[in-house]
Amino acid sequence: MPATQEISETLIRSNISRAVCDVFKTMLSRNAEPAVTVGDGAMASWPPIPVDGDAVPQVVGTVGFIGDVNGLIYLYLPLPFAELVTSHLLGMTVQELEEAGDEVVNDAIGEITNMTVGSFKNGLCDAGFPCKLTIPSILRGSNFSIEPISSVNRFIYSFESSGHKVVADILLKAGD
Amino acid sequence: MRNKILTVDDSKTVRIIVRKAFKSYDCEILEASNGVEGLAVAAKEMPDLILLDITMPVMDGVEMLTRLKSDPQLKNIPIMMLTAEGGKDNVLKIAKIGIRDYIVKPFKEELLIEKAGRIIELKPLSDGPTKVRSIFDAATLLVVEDKPAIVQQIQAGLKHTPWAVHGVSTQGEAMDFWTKTPPDLIMISLTLPEDAAFTLFRLIRSNVKTKYTPVFGLVVKTEAGPLQQAQTVGFTTVITKPIDVSELESKIAKAMNLDTSQRYFKLESDILVMRLPENCTPAVLAEISNYMKPKLAEAVDAGNNKAVIDVHPLKSVHMGVIKILMLAMQTCRELGVQFSLVGNTQLIAECKGFEDTRNWVFHDTLENAKASLGGPKAPAEPAAAAPAMASA
Repeated sequence: MPATQEISETLIRSNISRAVCDVFKTMLSRNAEPAVTVGDGAMASWPPIPVDGDAVPQVVGTVGFIGDVNGLIYLYLPLPFAELVTSHLLGMTVQELEEAGDEVVNDAIGEITNMTVGSFKNGLCDAGFPCKLTIPSILRGSNFSIEPISSVNRFIYSFESSGHKVVADILLKAGD
Repeated sequence: MRNKILTVDDSKTVRIIVRKAFKSYDCEILEASNGVEGLAVAAKEMPDLILLDITMPVMDGVEMLTRLKSDPQLKNIPIMMLTAEGGKDNVLKIAKIGIRDYIVKPFKEELLIEKAGRIIELKPLSDGPTKVRSIFDAATLLVVEDKPAIVQQIQAGLKHTPWAVHGVSTQGEAMDFWTKTPPDLIMISLTLPEDAAFTLFRLIRSNVKTKYTPVFGLVVKTEAGPLQQAQTVGFTTVITKPIDVSELESKIAKAMNLDTSQRYFKLESDILVMRLPENCTPAVLAEISNYMKPKLAEAVDAGNNKAVIDVHPLKSVHMGVIKILMLAMQTCRELGVQFSLVGNTQLIAECKGFEDTRNWVFHDTLENAKASLGGPKAPAEPAAAAPAMASA
């Protein structure tokens, strides 16, 4: 089994950029641009979201991948943006969305995350790291942080779409 | 019978997107959220196509696919994978089990429709199942012709209709046009360079949006080769040059299945007026003949049992006209409709010359004919007008 360390940061960066941009363009008819990073590229966006009482609530989709490489990706979307993309994706008005409740937004963001992580991991498969997707889950809130354990390599990338910040937080299990 | 499409995906979002994508097509969408449910629905409903995700709880798509293929009742149902799982090795492994197509998420709805349309018949829904389009409704006609004079001739000839005629000269322009605006009818010159007419025809028929769009060929009568080829491959009809625009108009109306009855039948107050046009070609007479009984019956059903048969605009009488008039009078008698006739001087004289028509009595104006049926009185009764022949 190849070691996770063999996967370069360049491959991770290009895979996640392509995945986010493709999904946003194809499913949401929106451009997503990698945000300009200062300093240490992959971790320049640390922490992924501000953690304080006034922070914008987030909807975070999570999908994992298991195989020759193991890991998971958190995709952070601010709640207003999550609602906007859900209404676009499902052809619903904002009012219909409000009536339908959180479950619909959760499902839509879960699916957007599934497609993004799917596209990311297909790039890994084609680069010689076969793996499979897990089913998605959703985390919601405005005052939380996700902390990995020490044996994990972490990469955080920010994107800008329609004036909103979208963050992809990638955790790869080290030393498989 | 409507096609059934089963979407098996644990994401409600994807199932909604699938439903949305197919909403303009005459098909039924069935849903299942995992492989176990999918197998149960497939066995009960026998869908015509299954769209299958891979990563699902309870039973994943690969296992469901394997079970479908090992079931003699279900193994022939076409399967299209619709999944985020797109690694080359995985796709190849799944393809070997037996699928018809594979779409990797993210996907465009148009791509889904295009690929599904290659597997099953996807018939677009009309605006409303009961609404009949009329000759007075707007329509978009596309003419693919590299000779501008022909396009102009068609545009000028159909100027009096509510149809918008757009001319393009190449295959590429035609495809750009129908991608943006699916036309109601397409006319293609059969002599475009490099057999482009036939390439276009194949593209039109393979695209779900234009699959059922009527396609006319345009060609000079002596070009027997392309004319025959167009008939063989299934062009709706071929229009020969020089173009007879009134014949073209009539064929367009027929191909688009337009209700043209309002050209000949009109309810004025409580009297149904059937008016024959100046030039009664066999096609026109056939149209009138088809509408005759339903229109008269409709009038009677609505409580209007009076009719005026107006042949005043006619330029000459021939056997076809006599037959249609006899049919009209016979139908009126059968339905108990009172009727009267309006003719012009020349026509009245001609009718005197035939055994069958010499006793027909015509009024010289529509007003007089209506008045004879108890309608509003005409301002002045012309001296030349003969008394009306009423029926019972």
